[in-house]
Amino acid sequence: MTTSISEFAISTRGLRKTYRNRKGRHVAVAGLDLDVPIGGVHGFLGPNGSGKTTSIRMLLGLTRADAGTMSIFGHAVPKHLPEVVSRVGAIVESPKFSPTFSGRKNLQLLADAIGCPRGIVDQVLEQTSLNERGKDKYRTYSLGMKQRLAIAATLLKDPDLLIFDEPTNGLDPAGIREIRNTMRALSEQGKTVLVSSHILSEVEHVADTVSIIGHGILLASGRVSDVIGNQIATSVRVGVADLVTAHRILVDAGILVRQDGGLLVVDGIADGAEITKRLAAHDLFVNELTPVRADLESVFLQLTADEGLESSGGAK
Amino acid sequence: MMRLTKVELRRLFSRHLSSMALLGALIVSGLVLLSAFDQAKPMSDQALAFQRTQFEEVQKDWAANGAQRIRDCEQSQAQVRKQHPKTELHCNQLKPRWENWGKQKVEFSNLMRSSLLGWSYLMAFICLLLGASFVAAEFASGSMGNWLTFEPRRVRVYFSKLVAAGLGVIPGVLALLGLLFVSIWIMCIRYGSTSGISSKMWTDLTWMSIRSLTFAVVASVVGAAMGALLRSTAAVMGIALGYLVIIEVVFRRVLQGAQPWMLQLNMEGWLQHGTKYFINKCTTDNQGMYSCFGVEKALTFGHSSMYLGALVVLAVTLSAKVFQSRDVN
Repeated sequence: MTTSISEFAISTRGLRKTYRNRKGRHVAVAGLDLDVPIGGVHGFLGPNGSGKTTSIRMLLGLTRADAGTMSIFGHAVPKHLPEVVSRVGAIVESPKFSPTFSGRKNLQLLADAIGCPRGIVDQVLEQTSLNERGKDKYRTYSLGMKQRLAIAATLLKDPDLLIFDEPTNGLDPAGIREIRNTMRALSEQGKTVLVSSHILSEVEHVADTVSIIGHGILLASGRVSDVIGNQIATSVRVGVADLVTAHRILVDAGILVRQDGGLLVVDGIADGAEITKRLAAHDLFVNELTPVRADLESVFLQLTADEGLESSGGAK
Repeated sequence: MMRLTKVELRRLFSRHLSSMALLGALIVSGLVLLSAFDQAKPMSDQALAFQRTQFEEVQKDWAANGAQRIRDCEQSQAQVRKQHPKTELHCNQLKPRWENWGKQKVEFSNLMRSSLLGWSYLMAFICLLLGASFVAAEFASGSMGNWLTFEPRRVRVYFSKLVAAGLGVIPGVLALLGLLFVSIWIMCIRYGSTSGISSKMWTDLTWMSIRSLTFAVVASVVGAAMGALLRSTAAVMGIALGYLVIIEVVFRRVLQGAQPWMLQLNMEGWLQHGTKYFINKCTTDNQGMYSCFGVEKALTFGHSSMYLGALVVLAVTLSAKVFQSRDVN
């Protein structure tokens, strides 16, 4: 299927970046093809060091790509980034502002630099519940407040695309929930949100679509349920009084089963009913049946195995 | 670009370090004024009496040995002139005079020129650090990356910072220059002399002040460019001090012929509208006598201007190229 590149908020083809230092070369991004559809929350998932932040940096013109093409809303970047930058708000890694200025001062300088109307700073401070601490120095802010200030900064432009790189790093559960809600709310306003993370559950909770990256290349992309739910075999943790007999019965039935402490773990099966049915037929009744959710590590291992990639080390 | 420059100026004036730099500049100006005051103030009665006693001792000695001293001097001069005919040992000035022992009244133009020269170097150093820190601190805090996500046109960002760094120091330097002028003028009215200042002297002083202001502005711009290049105020400071010690102190003694290509002398040439320097020439005459003489050389204002201008353009251009192409982390 051929599609116009402008159907995507972000599109990259063959994106490459190699870092060189005294220790040698490290390929951070090794030919990334990424499409982020317009609208909704798109998860950009990958383990630490998989090339997520480098890709985002290249999109924003902070890092120069060695090869490949990138576009934001159909504008080739970085060449035409100035034409589209007013539609993009981004937080790359941790929030970064002048520590000795107040939150308000930091925002006001940014607002003045892009010619925002007067009053916008108060508006975004209100939106991010920072209006009462706006006059305090940035260095006195908690991590959650810093993150909220960074979100406030991205909202100065009223952007169509928001890029959040690991936005919940270091936040407490309340802070994480707040950021999730903010992302959902922005998406409901019709904005496109790209959220990068190395935590599977974070993306599952908030994203509509997802791209998984590993060793600097795209491993899978699509709706969250399709990519994470169906591609990866799930496991079920089974508690039963007679572990030895239960193990034998399940093995005889051709089911992959292993013992894990005082429980059995059945791999490659999503439906627990099959297990209870077989055990009950031998008068063994389960006292625990817990689906084991796939974590990013297992998803990643599965996907890299499918791609024929080694699961350790950077891309070469 | 104008909008960005205005924002950068606001950022510069809001910085804590800018207030600290202004305070530092005020202290430095105070020290320069203290030194000027030390030169201008009359001697105490006690010091004057001591000098008078010393002078009388020397006069007695001269009455006994003066004629012999003059003969010895003239003999030495004749000897030296065999090799260097233009040598003048000023034997007729050997006689002790009270005006050389007591303290002469300071002239406003002389005191102002000497104070302004030292003050200009110190102001330039403060401005260099202020400019360097203005840009380097943004790299240190990471806010440069954030800034570039709002304005990705790096050339504009770079030059807005440099222009702001240059313009931002003007009010402070002008105010302190005014303070220096007024204070030294008052000192000279009180203890020295302000009469007999020709219009040419006023013109020279005005131009020297303008050059001093320009010097501070350019130092701030170069500091900002160095800050963008090295991304660390400490690195800029290290390079400035390293240059001072290695090149201006050590290298200068070894290679005297390279003086016209050294920064300090060219700065002096710029500030004073040309300057002079000496190169040691040593010879051995027919009788095996080894002697050294300082040969005076002139460094023109044009040379200094061209040399410093070329260095500034080189630093700003190199830094711009690096800022434009280097990844911002």
